[in-house]
Amino acid sequence: MTDTRLRGLETRPLRGRSSTRGPRRWWVIAGIALLAAIALARVLSPVPGGLLPDRLQDGITLAISVLVESMPFVVLGIVFSILVRVWMPEAWLVRVLPRNPWLRRMVISLIGMFLPVCECGNVPLARGLMVRGLTVAESMTFLFAAPIINPITIITTHQAFGFDDGILVARLGGGFLIANLLGWVFSRHPQPDQLLTARFAAECRLPAHDESGSRLDRSIRLFGRESAALLPALFVGSMAAALVQTAVPRDVLVTLGSDPVWSIVAMIGLAFVISVCSNVDAFFILPFASTFLPGSIVTFLLFGAMLDIKMIALLRTTFTTRTLVQLGAIIVLASAAIGWGVNLVA
Amino acid sequence: MLLIGVIAFGSIWLALTGQLVLYIHPRYLVFTVIMAVVALAFVVARVLISGRRPAHVHAEPGHDDDDDHADDHSHNEDDDDDDDLAQRPVQRALSIGALALSAALALGAVLLPPATLSAATAAQRDITQTTVNTDAASVEDAAGADAATFARYTVVEWSSLLAQTDDPSFFAGKVADVVGFVTPDPGAPDDVFYVSRFTITCCAVDAQPIGIPVYLPDWQQQVSADDWVEVVGEFGANRSATSSAVIALSPTEVSRVDQPSEPYLY
Repeated sequence: MTDTRLRGLETRPLRGRSSTRGPRRWWVIAGIALLAAIALARVLSPVPGGLLPDRLQDGITLAISVLVESMPFVVLGIVFSILVRVWMPEAWLVRVLPRNPWLRRMVISLIGMFLPVCECGNVPLARGLMVRGLTVAESMTFLFAAPIINPITIITTHQAFGFDDGILVARLGGGFLIANLLGWVFSRHPQPDQLLTARFAAECRLPAHDESGSRLDRSIRLFGRESAALLPALFVGSMAAALVQTAVPRDVLVTLGSDPVWSIVAMIGLAFVISVCSNVDAFFILPFASTFLPGSIVTFLLFGAMLDIKMIALLRTTFTTRTLVQLGAIIVLASAAIGWGVNLVA
Repeated sequence: MLLIGVIAFGSIWLALTGQLVLYIHPRYLVFTVIMAVVALAFVVARVLISGRRPAHVHAEPGHDDDDDHADDHSHNEDDDDDDDLAQRPVQRALSIGALALSAALALGAVLLPPATLSAATAAQRDITQTTVNTDAASVEDAAGADAATFARYTVVEWSSLLAQTDDPSFFAGKVADVVGFVTPDPGAPDDVFYVSRFTITCCAVDAQPIGIPVYLPDWQQQVSADDWVEVVGEFGANRSATSSAVIALSPTEVSRVDQPSEPYLY
């Protein structure tokens, strides 16, 4: 937040001078000091509870809860991203992957097996992979396959559902299919750069060797940049998710339960609103398994792992709105189709 | 940078004061704290190196210590991000709005005391037993259990049993002693309330309210919604005509208690 204020004050001619560096650093330190003071004040004289109306208080609690829950995954994702961008030998990844585009995307969709991050952590990682030479379509394949095809998600889904009704198989197979479908569709785009926001496209065009300083310095600076790019999005996404949750009664969605088509629509709505990480969503949806058809559960597990309110905010840091709408449409249709298929079979 | 610092610092502080469980499931405590420490270490390191000049000045023209990645690479473009945004005032307004909102939430997170979700959210999330996880206690197990086992049952186990059977003879003679907060029954708000708890699988976002109906006409005279109460009583057929619950607890004792340190059940 100090950043914007400073950018407002700072005029262009000052830019090149080192004198701008001092004040900016002091802003950060002042900010930290201010926060420490507030925290100290809070410890010494606790604000009484019940200050806010219930709904607002609950909304804030929910927003903070989404934030606190996603923060470690985002940090882990940024750390992996730093490893890929700064410490991994240049072009190693590009060299080691198969040349055939289909085979290549299939292998990429399995990378999640070695980097178990949930969907919000995958955003910084996918950004790192793009900077490191993967095409936009290829990192999309990774971005949407990895939340589902990774060891933690497989274990938790198996713990929750076992092999009942083919839910686990449909989730893994479906995730693989949708991610590769997305990769194929977007690989046909004539100018993949246009899928990206102007900011991020600029970051991609920057040659890696142009970065200065030791690897450690670069890692630290990269952490600063990535967290500055992603954190505001995460905050906004958390707040939107909390707002929708306090405003929309959940039983509206749940009562749609047992109709083969409507229950799929309801599950997509629920997954979009709930914004739970793919690593744990199987436990969340387990109690609903008795009211909803298995195919609808599969839809929840597929769609929720790929897109939700929080993810839209995070993805917007990297992809244009137009790309997101196209992505969303494909994911909704594909996950609904797979869920509907499972409903027919089961 | 400041944002992630606030969140990391906040998480650690909440963990130290034992309040992090108000937001997330205990199994994520360790992971969250470790990652918060990693994040804080990076933040501190970032502040420390910001005073140093980079080795190759041309790469980052005297501007290395800022948080905005687009600015760092402005030399590569004719124009950098500021102009990009200036061309689109709507976007500029949006990003400033986003930062302001983030700042507000960050402040709120530090300033406001952590709180549990309230009965308002419980009522809005359908407290009736349609979505109870029935694994907690099975009818077969409970049929042969003794009074000591029932005394240990929480709202989770009882609501699980209630979801599996509404046969009054099964519940006959079983005494429940449970703690929860009061949520009015939407069907019969004057005669029946639910002793309710939230269950959590991951974090407060997925909190699902569960509850046991308690039949107590004019309960508002003793307790009010959102109060934490301990209820002791036996189950029986619900005498309220308008409530959707078939079985309800007839309390012998309803007393107000403090909110438990772990208000959520798992």
